[in-house]
Amino acid sequence: MITFIGKRLLGLVGTLLIASFLVFAVTEFSPGNVARKTLGPFAAQESVDLLYQKLHLNDSLPVRYVRWLGVLTGVIADPLQDPALKLDFKDPRGDRYFGNFGYSTLYKLPVNDVIWNRLGNTALLAGISFALIVPLSLIFGVLAGMREGSFLDRTISVFGIVATSIPEFASGVFLVAIFVVALRLLPGTSPLTTGGGGWSLASQFVLPVAVLVLYDSGYVVRMVRGSTAEVMSKPYIRTAILKGLSFKTVVWRHAVRNAMIAPFTVILLQINFLISGVVVTEMVFAYPGFGRMLLEASLFGDIALIEAATLVALAVATTTQLLSDLGYALLNPQIRVG
Amino acid sequence: MTDYRDNEHISTLARELSEKKIDRREFVRFATLLGLSATAAYGLAGKITGEAFAPAARAQALPKGGTIRIGNRIKEIKNPHTYSWGGYDSNMSRQVVEYLTFTDEKGATHPYLAESWTATPDLKTWTFKLRNDVKWSNGEPLTADHVVWNLKRVLDPEVGSSMIGLMSSYMLKDDPTQKDAKGNPKQVLWDANAIEKVDNSTFRFNCKVAQVAVPEHLFHYVMAILHPDENGVFQVGSKGTGAFELVEFEVGKKATFKAKKGYWGGDANVDMIEMTDTGDDPTAAISALASKQLHGLVFADPLQYDALAALPHLQLYSVATGETVVLRMKVTEKPFNDVRVRQAMRYAIDQGPILQVALHGLGREGQHHHTSPAHPEYAELPPFKRDLAKAKQLLAAAGFPNGLDTEIFVPTDLPWGQVQVESAVEQWKDAGIRVKINLMPGASYWDVWTKVPFGSTIWYHRPLAIMTYGLAYRTGAPWNESAYSNKEFDDLLTQAEGTIDVNKRREFMAKLEKILQDDGPLVQPLFRDTFTFMDKRVKGFSMHPTNYFFGWKVGLAEA
Repeated sequence: MITFIGKRLLGLVGTLLIASFLVFAVTEFSPGNVARKTLGPFAAQESVDLLYQKLHLNDSLPVRYVRWLGVLTGVIADPLQDPALKLDFKDPRGDRYFGNFGYSTLYKLPVNDVIWNRLGNTALLAGISFALIVPLSLIFGVLAGMREGSFLDRTISVFGIVATSIPEFASGVFLVAIFVVALRLLPGTSPLTTGGGGWSLASQFVLPVAVLVLYDSGYVVRMVRGSTAEVMSKPYIRTAILKGLSFKTVVWRHAVRNAMIAPFTVILLQINFLISGVVVTEMVFAYPGFGRMLLEASLFGDIALIEAATLVALAVATTTQLLSDLGYALLNPQIRVG
Repeated sequence: MTDYRDNEHISTLARELSEKKIDRREFVRFATLLGLSATAAYGLAGKITGEAFAPAARAQALPKGGTIRIGNRIKEIKNPHTYSWGGYDSNMSRQVVEYLTFTDEKGATHPYLAESWTATPDLKTWTFKLRNDVKWSNGEPLTADHVVWNLKRVLDPEVGSSMIGLMSSYMLKDDPTQKDAKGNPKQVLWDANAIEKVDNSTFRFNCKVAQVAVPEHLFHYVMAILHPDENGVFQVGSKGTGAFELVEFEVGKKATFKAKKGYWGGDANVDMIEMTDTGDDPTAAISALASKQLHGLVFADPLQYDALAALPHLQLYSVATGETVVLRMKVTEKPFNDVRVRQAMRYAIDQGPILQVALHGLGREGQHHHTSPAHPEYAELPPFKRDLAKAKQLLAAAGFPNGLDTEIFVPTDLPWGQVQVESAVEQWKDAGIRVKINLMPGASYWDVWTKVPFGSTIWYHRPLAIMTYGLAYRTGAPWNESAYSNKEFDDLLTQAEGTIDVNKRREFMAKLEKILQDDGPLVQPLFRDTFTFMDKRVKGFSMHPTNYFFGWKVGLAEA
């Protein structure tokens, strides 16, 4: 077990290294020049070239990548914080420490001052949504799957398909039209500040969470339903029914645990979706989250921020994968990790 | 201020007004440009025409206190002298740092930091006097030295300010002894004394050639007067002469301004201004207004119009403008280096339907010369009509008998501009011009807008058409995105800039407009009316054609 986790952690570090290098390489080929974007279209070419040089963007790709790794691990000081460059890049934590993600050229702040707050906002949105998606999907999925073809199954399935096939930007606008414009019950955007219109923070979460839950649980319900229906057709279920157990006991004791194995992975994958896939919802509700930040950073070519965001998203993905493998072993005694 | 009779230009204007050659609005606009105060100009207009002069409505007492919340894109604001946007960035710094003059929504230019100004009859020497009660936020008084520092800074080509496009013809010359990086002669002040400090509160422009629009140039959004200590940088805590201080700023999120005690213009009515970024999605702003999280937007998009007009607690504000999106072709790039191709692009366009589709008719048709009927010097040319046969013939003559394939770069941050391109592309198809649309996020487009061969660029309103011409079409101007260069055009423009007689000036304009129609680098289907919506609680607001928001003008009534 320990070896298994150790191996997976090593794999995680390897994945992060490869992915971070790929991000560096890909941004190399994306259009636009960060120095030009920082100074604006009308700055003289000389000032742009000078800034380009100051940002050490002239160096070759491997040199820059290794330097970025060095800064991240605290082996070398961040060269951009050198006051002689007059870039005005100041990090209260100092220029050399472990976990130094560098300086965001878009926000003009240390990446560590930008990213955690945004990630926290998105984690909150994702956490609330996840806490609703899981129980809702399990309940409706099992209810639909235990009697395949019944009226209840048909109703839940149709609802699930509809919910999942309406994109978030459409359901967002739809919900705003009903609850904000017509009924005036909820705020239309979620800037996470109080004051404007007197809406509480809690009320600002209702609509973004509703959009995510509708979109995502529709899909997970279908997965749970499919898996439950398959298990319900197994011979051991028939045996259990024939030996006189009540239908409730059969479903609860025999079917659910076995039916959970496949959906378990799917459910954990939703965490990844909720961390970096919520960008559409964040745009519709002007929510100051991680997805919107990553989009803006990518458009600007803010490599330090893109790298940091990629590493965080990957770390989340790899961790949930590890959890799902461990969970598998718990659900299915036939699987042994190691 | 000099008596109007001393100034032959004002006498000319007065004569034209009495002969009904110009209307009262034009008279006021030009008279104020020449230094007559707006009140005096309105009064004089009344005397000349015999019409009763309606006194300006007494500033109504506005409610005090509260925080006004405005939707705005929170972009980088660090360098006001090199802003390229105006719509977003200058509406933030504008609350803190101020301008020498103030052009109102009707086109009349008023005193602001400059209390008065006079021009010599040859329109070459302009003397400005500063108010003596203006103080920076640290208590230091504003002096002519501060202003001269700002003026010299924006006219230094190394700073890269767009003021150069406006002022180079009358303030700068090429210095063959100095070369810039490309080996071209460097532009320097045409005379060491071109910007002159007269005394502590007076400064002077000694112009190379006559120029009529000096006061209006000083209201261009990059011409904010910054404290020299800040070295051109604007940020939280920067010194300003304005009614507010910037206390909080985060790109992409929020900017907060706090009213300052002892503002020279009288303390602001509201305690705070909060500007919030609702992102690239125009529906988010609608939602925020619907739930009263915002009191208004600095400006609204036509795609938002129907939804916002349906909200009963909002008030519409609109004004006709010279704001437009030009589909401009870089004349140094194939196939647009051939004038016949550029003409064909124009002849294939039918403006009316585009106006309907892109703006729901909220604007007027363009004539492909970037001068709007909202401009005082607008010269009406025969309508430029769609002519497909001619377009095809021109294309064939240019060596494209089977039509033409090209690509247009379009920023996605302006939805109606995108719709305009889509409908133009449909119309071009009829002439065999197949245009591929290359959508780019706004941030990426503004990185390459002066470089792409064919692009869709927004141009905001400027009070005079000659100002736009100086920025966008004069040879070598920094914002000349199409690399257009026409000696005849440049010469006529310089002459127009020195002509106060409106009718004479309109003759120059007719020629300039015709040159752009025949030879110019642009397809320009329409002008829009700018508009926005504000909560009915917001008092004192008026829509400015350039979308400028002034925090000191507004008050917020109780809910």
